[in-house]
Order: sequence, then structure tokens, then C-alpha cells
Amino acid sequence: MRLGHVIGKVTLSRQDPAYLGGRFLLVQPWNTAKYAKPAAPQPSDAGLVVYDALGAGVGSIVGFTEGSEASKPFTGPTPVDAYCAAIIDEVFHQPPK
Amino acid sequence: MLLARIDGVIVSTVCHPSMHGCRTVICQPLNEHGGAEGAPVLALDRHGAGQHQRVLVSTDGAAVRAHVGDEHSPLRNSVIAILDAAP
Repeated sequence: MRLGHVIGKVTLSRQDPAYLGGRFLLVQPWNTAKYAKPAAPQPSDAGLVVYDALGAGVGSIVGFTEGSEASKPFTGPTPVDAYCAAIIDEVFHQPPK
Repeated sequence: MLLARIDGVIVSTVCHPSMHGCRTVICQPLNEHGGAEGAPVLALDRHGAGQHQRVLVSTDGAAVRAHVGDEHSPLRNSVIAILDAAP
């Protein structure tokens, strides 16, 4: 699982039937510099679209998983490879000096 | 598996049910010299590893699903061992 900032939402006009009722978030993953200074704006590198079933809004920090594990929460086979597993309230990050 | 160091912890109340009751830690992958390498990843901790301890992080989703007892868990990383000696 990785952390990311929600910077937008994605609305699909035509979609795979397995996506019905799904929400999609545009997420910018945190890189190493962002962990050091979470408040500082991060230069925009590649964002990704994450399937969301928890109701995260723009600006919140989410923990998302990728790969085949991201399609496990669905009953049937679903083409999803990034799934929002948690909406993060607090991040305590203190690497050793 | 990843050789990593526990650098922090996250708090999340709204999350997938399989994460309830488990501690999610921020793991910083380490290289062979013990230095930080790459971006941190989050892992489920079931051994109570302390801050700045070196641990082994498994990236096997099936092991996490078996541990939390939920076949629909989206999680992948879990702390499976706490290291004693320095690499």
C-alpha cells in the first residue's frame, strides 16, 4: 500500500459493467520528498486513477493498493489495479536523524 | 521480501474492514548497506515492531488474506519478521 493525495475525480461516460456504482479518484502518490515535508506542494509527477468505495474527497490523503490484490475486494472478475483501501487521518513519520 | 525499517505509523478510521484491529506501519526499504532506498511503503504489522526497528516485509497478498481471514482483502504488504542483527 502507498500513500497519495486526492487531487481530483474521474467520471466515466462509457465503462465496463463491473464498474457500475464505482467512484474513481485522481491520486498523486507521495514520493520520498513528500514524506519529509508533507505540507510542501509536491511537483506533479505521474498521478493515477484509483477505484474508491470509501468516499474519499479531493484533498484527503488515501492509502491505495495496486496490482492483483486491488481486484480482490470484488465478487466477480473486475479490471481494477488500484484500489483505495484507507482514508488516512494521521501520518506519523519520524525517520532516525 | 523487502528489508525495511519502521519509520512511522498511520491512523485510519475509514478503511477496508480487513484492516480493522491491525496496525499499519510506514516501512522505508533499505539497501544492503542499511541506507534508505526508494519511497516508503505501508504494511500491516502483526508482530508489534517498534519505531526504527529493521523488519522483513512480505509482498505476498495471499499471506495477508490468510492472516486477516478475509478473502476480499486488498492488502499486500505485511511485516513477517523483526531483525536482530544488522545486515
